[in-house]
Amino acid sequence: MKHKQFTIMLVALSFLLLLGFSSQVMAGETYKMGLSIDMTGATSDVGTPYSKGVEDYVKYVNDEKLLGDDKLVCFIRDDGYKTEVTKRNFEDFLDEDIVFYLNYSTGSTMALRQDFQEEQIPVLPASFHAGNLEGNDYIFLPIASYSSQAVGLAEYVAANHKGSGKPKVALFLHPSAFGRAPRDDVKKSIDAGLAIDLVEIVEHGKDLDNTAMLKRFQSKGVQYVISQTVQPPVATMLKGAQSLGMIAKTYGEAGKITFLGCHYGGGPALVALAGSAANENYYWTTSYKMMTAKGPGRDAQFALAERYGRDENVAKDANYTNGIMVVQVAVETIRRAKAKGKKITRAALYEEMVAMNGFNAFNSLTTVGPVSFSKADREGVDTLQLYVSKGGLFYEIGAPFASEYVQKIK
Amino acid sequence: MSYFFQLVVSGIVVGSIYALSALGFVLIYKSSRVLNIAHGQIIAAGAFITYALTVFVGIHIVLSFLLSMVITFFLAMSVERVFLRRLIGEPIISVIMVTIGLMSIIDGIIYMTPFGAENFSFPEFLPKTPISFMGISMSWTQMVGVLITFTMIGAFTWFFKASTVGISMRAVSDDQFASMSIGISVPKVFGLAWATAGLSAAAAGGIIGNITGLNFYVLHSFGIIVFPVVIVGGLDSIFGAIVAGIIMGLIQQFASGYLDGHWGLYGTADVLPYIILLIILLFKPHGLFGIHEIERV
Repeated sequence: MKHKQFTIMLVALSFLLLLGFSSQVMAGETYKMGLSIDMTGATSDVGTPYSKGVEDYVKYVNDEKLLGDDKLVCFIRDDGYKTEVTKRNFEDFLDEDIVFYLNYSTGSTMALRQDFQEEQIPVLPASFHAGNLEGNDYIFLPIASYSSQAVGLAEYVAANHKGSGKPKVALFLHPSAFGRAPRDDVKKSIDAGLAIDLVEIVEHGKDLDNTAMLKRFQSKGVQYVISQTVQPPVATMLKGAQSLGMIAKTYGEAGKITFLGCHYGGGPALVALAGSAANENYYWTTSYKMMTAKGPGRDAQFALAERYGRDENVAKDANYTNGIMVVQVAVETIRRAKAKGKKITRAALYEEMVAMNGFNAFNSLTTVGPVSFSKADREGVDTLQLYVSKGGLFYEIGAPFASEYVQKIK
Repeated sequence: MSYFFQLVVSGIVVGSIYALSALGFVLIYKSSRVLNIAHGQIIAAGAFITYALTVFVGIHIVLSFLLSMVITFFLAMSVERVFLRRLIGEPIISVIMVTIGLMSIIDGIIYMTPFGAENFSFPEFLPKTPISFMGISMSWTQMVGVLITFTMIGAFTWFFKASTVGISMRAVSDDQFASMSIGISVPKVFGLAWATAGLSAAAAGGIIGNITGLNFYVLHSFGIIVFPVVIVGGLDSIFGAIVAGIIMGLIQQFASGYLDGHWGLYGTADVLPYIILLIILLFKPHGLFGIHEIERV
């Protein structure tokens, strides 16, 4: 009797194991990615919406079965904007066998370049520093570099300057590799013929007041200030300029200053911080589509944010878009590798990344141009869109453009 | 010449806000000899409470500002009661370590709210047109900020000089045992010191938040930015905080106005306060107005 019971139990157990195994096969593969990001450090206002974009889009991919029965997992960890923590997070992710990695800051991206090269893992950072591409083959910039952005803004200033002579421009930079990234390229562009007069390059501190700097700009005839930094110092500068009555009411207004900014130095988060000082006539460039730019991308982003319970501030944040976009690219590479019957490995995804060009470029809907990468060009979206704030919202000016001088000085 | 006077005015504005921010450090140190490392976090909390009351609850910003000071007063008092009261008599370093822990706790709490990750700005209630006089400009926000700062500093100076409670706090600062022997409740004085520091921090947070916008990192950084002010003025001197605050504000403006952009120099406003700090400490180790205690052996 006991023998019979044992046999039945053995059969039942085998059946359960077989069922478990087959259901696992039916559930498909699990692909792992990692994101190390600042959620509690100096730039948490950027990192948090970015991480939410990543988190929501990964959920969406799985909920909507965009990878069929396969599942996407993204480990998200806070690094507090500390490179040593980023490195530790990355090493932990490697232990989890990730096939794709999302990094955050310029400093950590540059510090871990060699690690990425050794691990041969495709990396999309939140930093658009052109220097990230040097000395390695595996880092890809999602959109146009800071250099392209700053030079692109300078080109716009040169082409649309109101008044005689060359426009006098000042650069307002973050005191780090992130801020300094476009400085030399702006200078090289001027040497190559870009018609602006670069009067000052300022690396800001933690200032409560920028009166001295703004008055100095005014005394030197500076008419345009291009910012390559994060929103808080730009907000303080704009508030200071407003209190001194210096902000141009129209583009290029004589005797006043027109303020312009690169991706992280503008957007809805800047308006939230600077209030009326950034509500009108702040010029901003990025490769991302904005919530005010009507279209399927905007509708999809709002729907995604609503679906996963995000508030309006997150839904319209450019860095939420940023987070969505990098996962879109990762998913697209996985999808393409799968379609070709490849096993999903770092090498396979790298091959798909560098083949994402020409007719194979990826239209993400969240960007103003297609995402295209090759071995020679790892800068994703080449085009930029200029926006201007009106009533606290950013509106497109003209069509997307690519920086002409960045191509010349390359 | 108007450039010079503009820098003077801006220096005084910035300096007085530094002084108000530094006041919280001084108030606690003056009575308990404790350096509260979490002061920047309390400044941020004060600003966020004002914003929440104004925007989420719908109270007028002036009333919210006053209410936030009251709330932070009791909040800081509670912090002292819960975390620090039991450390009376323990080594000062232990108490300072607790304030470091407190800093992490407040950070964590704020990061759990939208304030930890989003940017906000106070509703604008003052005229946007600057006040201009002979080519010198100043925003209404700055003007109101300076007025609040000087009113508060005046009130605290009177409080410590003329009120019984203030004099008790000074007595505790001088000698805890002697104070107890004449019937002063040392724990109550400590609680009150933290409470008044909380009140001044909320005021500073409200003013800074109006000038820079509400970003957690920017606001809590003020706890560190005003450190040279506290040290130069003397850790236990309210008057020292005022003088050092204004000196620092002026130095920063003049450095930025006259040094930056020349001889390849930039960012001198960030560095110069620390250079001045080192020089002053070489000659006056207790700061400009700090009490130099001489112990008889």
